[in-house]
Amino acid sequence: MSTELEPQTPEVTENDLEALIGDRALRRDDHLNAPGFVIRPDDVQDVLFDLRDEAGFDHLSCLTAQQYEDRYESIYHMKKYADPTQEVSVVVPTSVDNPVSQSAEPVFRTADWHEREAFDLVGIDYEGHPDPRRILLPETWQGHPLSKDYDQEQPQVVTLAEHANPIQPDHHDEESDTMFLNIGPHHPATHGVLHVKTVLDGETVVDIDPDIGYLHRCEEQMCQQGTYRHQIMPYPDRWDYVSAGLLNEWAYARAAEDLADIEVPEYAQVIRTMGAELCRIASHFLALGTFCLDVYGDFNAVFQYSFRDREVVQDILEDLTGQRLMFNYFRLGGVAWDLPEPRDEFIEKARDFLDELPAKISEYNDLVTGNEIFQVRCNDTGVLEPDLAKSYGCTGPVARASGIDYDLRRDDPYGYYENLDWDVITRQGCDNYARVLCRMEEVEESAKIIEQCLDLLEDWPEDDREIQANVPRTLKPDPDTEIYRAVEGAKGELGIYIRSDGTDKPARFKIRSPCFHNLSSLEEISEGDFIPDLIASLGSLDIVLGEVDR
Amino acid sequence: MIGILKSMATTMKHALDGSTFTVEYPETAPDVSPRFRGVHKFSQERCIWCRQCENVCPNDTIQIVMDDQRNGEQYNLHIGQCIYCRLCEEVCPVDAILLTQNFEFTGDTKHDLVYNKEQLKAVPWYKDIDPLESREPDRGAWIGEGDGEVDYQ
Amino acid sequence: MIEGTLIQAGDTVLLPERIGDLTGLDQFGLAGELLAAFLAAFIVGNLMLAMTGVAGPWAKRKITAAFTDRIAVNRLGPAGLLIIVADSVRLLSKENIIPENADRPAYDLAPIVVASSALLGFAVIPMGSGIHLADPEVGLVFVFAVAGIASLGLVMAGYSSANKYSMLGGLRAVAQNVAYEIPLVVTGMSVVIFTGSLQMSEIVAVQNQPLVDFGLFAIPAWFAIVNPFAFVLFLLANFAEVGRNPFDTPEAPTEIVAGYQTEYSSVYFVLIYLGEFLHIFLGGAIIATIFLGGPAGPGPEALGIVWFIIKIWGVFLLTQWMRSAVPRVRVDQLIEIGWKGLLVLSFANLILTAIIVGIIQ
Repeated sequence: MSTELEPQTPEVTENDLEALIGDRALRRDDHLNAPGFVIRPDDVQDVLFDLRDEAGFDHLSCLTAQQYEDRYESIYHMKKYADPTQEVSVVVPTSVDNPVSQSAEPVFRTADWHEREAFDLVGIDYEGHPDPRRILLPETWQGHPLSKDYDQEQPQVVTLAEHANPIQPDHHDEESDTMFLNIGPHHPATHGVLHVKTVLDGETVVDIDPDIGYLHRCEEQMCQQGTYRHQIMPYPDRWDYVSAGLLNEWAYARAAEDLADIEVPEYAQVIRTMGAELCRIASHFLALGTFCLDVYGDFNAVFQYSFRDREVVQDILEDLTGQRLMFNYFRLGGVAWDLPEPRDEFIEKARDFLDELPAKISEYNDLVTGNEIFQVRCNDTGVLEPDLAKSYGCTGPVARASGIDYDLRRDDPYGYYENLDWDVITRQGCDNYARVLCRMEEVEESAKIIEQCLDLLEDWPEDDREIQANVPRTLKPDPDTEIYRAVEGAKGELGIYIRSDGTDKPARFKIRSPCFHNLSSLEEISEGDFIPDLIASLGSLDIVLGEVDR
Repeated sequence: MIGILKSMATTMKHALDGSTFTVEYPETAPDVSPRFRGVHKFSQERCIWCRQCENVCPNDTIQIVMDDQRNGEQYNLHIGQCIYCRLCEEVCPVDAILLTQNFEFTGDTKHDLVYNKEQLKAVPWYKDIDPLESREPDRGAWIGEGDGEVDYQ
Repeated sequence: MIEGTLIQAGDTVLLPERIGDLTGLDQFGLAGELLAAFLAAFIVGNLMLAMTGVAGPWAKRKITAAFTDRIAVNRLGPAGLLIIVADSVRLLSKENIIPENADRPAYDLAPIVVASSALLGFAVIPMGSGIHLADPEVGLVFVFAVAGIASLGLVMAGYSSANKYSMLGGLRAVAQNVAYEIPLVVTGMSVVIFTGSLQMSEIVAVQNQPLVDFGLFAIPAWFAIVNPFAFVLFLLANFAEVGRNPFDTPEAPTEIVAGYQTEYSSVYFVLIYLGEFLHIFLGGAIIATIFLGGPAGPGPEALGIVWFIIKIWGVFLLTQWMRSAVPRVRVDQLIEIGWKGLLVLSFANLILTAIIVGIIQ
């Protein structure tokens, strides 16, 4: 396997890109975050291959589809794993009458699910797509909800389809037979309402097809109906709803602040950084606990211990934000509240938690990672090779456990991270065990960050504690500006695309969910394994269906 | 083998030290932090019927009915639908709506959770914590400060 | 202090006879003897069922809570003990939902087979204080045989439920029981080499001779002390036999929902659930009998049953302890450990024991 400590790829200037794309670029359509090139719908693969292989854009971060009055548009947001500040947007317009565009699936595997979603919600057809089905909505759904001519009042009939064994014809012989098994949507180990259509040969998984969308709550559309200033912020808490709230809020805050050009006071950035890392710890504890639930069975103590420790973090967050999960603490231009009074008490409470953390971590090490049976269960299962991880757009601990040194907190700095002293954890194991270890070590790094933030906050001069910039109550960014911004969420790169149309509400709001990408790799990492490994791999990907389905 | 024994020793240590983390809920209520956002309390005396809260509410939880002289008649809040974002309190220029720490409310049907202004008035402080007190230091940050464009709709 | 608990094989008075004596039933010939036997079986069966009743709804919750820093049931009655009543009412008053495609006679029989096979095993266990139902020459073989019937029940439950998860659970149960029954029996045989008898009372009696006598106190010749290796092997095989961590693959709630019992509800569920606990207790009883000196313990002989129950609960506690801290092995690893590990070790143990016993004698 390749180690990811490649030399930094040289900066690709806009001139290089223009030269590379050449005549295929019909015109420029720059976004706030990246240069954008408009290309013809049948040049997609060609251009993306060139960008990936010649210019090193190996990360298809997101695909946004939207409809204008006169055209459909697919935007491929591309980045580099080695340097995510180098970005390029490939804009593919298609006509309203015949919205057909070439599929990017041969270039990036992750385009598979993204294009299915674009087809499902917006209604663009992707030519050459291997599996052009709906993904979030039921197969029988009529119309595409985010397209202009969609009638929301139209009644929908959703039938309960019987699931057939997709590989029955190829695998049926006299000696062995395959069995189709629905794992989920109601199953103890699917971490929500995930439905995995599984085909088994004995205990071996021969084919799986994750079926998502059971928790689709139209989050993107809800955000399109809310005002930038206030009404969007409560919703990010509900994407990844297991205590990663502040990290999600930051994704929206970062995108919107860059869109409206809002400066955030330094003091608020420190509070944000501290809160976000507390959320990361809580989220990783939960990931550890539920993963152990999958591997140990119920009645195991690790699950309870990790929930107990997460509880402490939640108490601290409750003191800070006023809520345990649905924080709604960030505001555009800062945070809602300063540290609670008395400050010393809060700081001491947080320090107490950090002081106890090493003992707890070593207890987890005794309980979990040192346990031989645990090692036997997790080593070399659910192997995700780095190249594959990149092709699927995996990020966060899943990618870092496959040796991909990619962390937006360091590579695309925001908040106060660049002024603090901490490390990005990577592991070379690529397997379930590496993913667990990676999360546990990240908890320690987060603790380091919080420690430094607390020191800073304690000594911050009293007359300089500005928690919010002066932002007008009604925010109307310039019309037709587009931005795609990402932060490092608990599960990986959480990106937001916003297009403004001059009103106080976004015209298009697209969420790039890390879980969506990580889950799409499940097929690759668990086929050929046993059922217990499928369950363990699913657990180690640490998905939250609220964020997958949005 | 050593690892397994270590794991077992760890859990046994917890079993023997006898400490518990959970509490017996109604008898020992867990601490609720002063900033906690629970069910709303409404003060008709203060309310100036500016409808800011109704406007800012992200999911139409608040419904206000006024007569043609702009006098308030009804103030309904569906606490079962509310997402407890505290935006209504935040925009209220006169502190007429507050989120208390009270999280103990029930209803037999979802209709029971639609509170009118009388019910909202009757919501008690939780353990006598006055939410305003805990919010004092930062009030400036979220009510009526700033010289930016103010849109009263 | 071991004194006075020496039970001489052969002259044990079995419980049916004693009841016959006390009630005068033995005067009525065969019918009276039968009635006395029924009475005795009734007593023992209820004792065991009462123990599972305490263990299932109450003790298990309390033990798990202790391991995980929680309080658990404490609202009903002293220390929450009345939860047993509440839970029984709750479970029994639920609707018994039977899947449409269930294979009826088998589906109905399975819970009964699972529960009764374990109960049968207690018939030959000497529990001290004179509670011993029958003492056949082949007691040990009988116990293993009836405990093995449970696998049949699990398979029946698995396939007749017409549910794919149940099917997988049933298949896993068979594979596991076949793989672990052999090491279990072979390890048990190493004990027989010491005693030279399969009779339970004989096995207990042999263990109660002092191994080393220090005058004031003596270390008894419990086989757990004489041959600790066999004891550990037997414990491990027993975990697999009763399906508890690290070998709880047939149920594996996070993998195959609840395995063979996925479709069972209400009374049938209670029976399967009771059957599981009975099997843990039977496993504990076998371990207590052939490795821990049966009902032996300090104090007067009448306390035998107390010591015996303590030993059984010790084994139960161990299973709960393992659940809290030990991961479940994967199904292929389980089979591998069974056939390649435990089987080989148990035969090695058998041969070694045979050689040592041969040299000593």
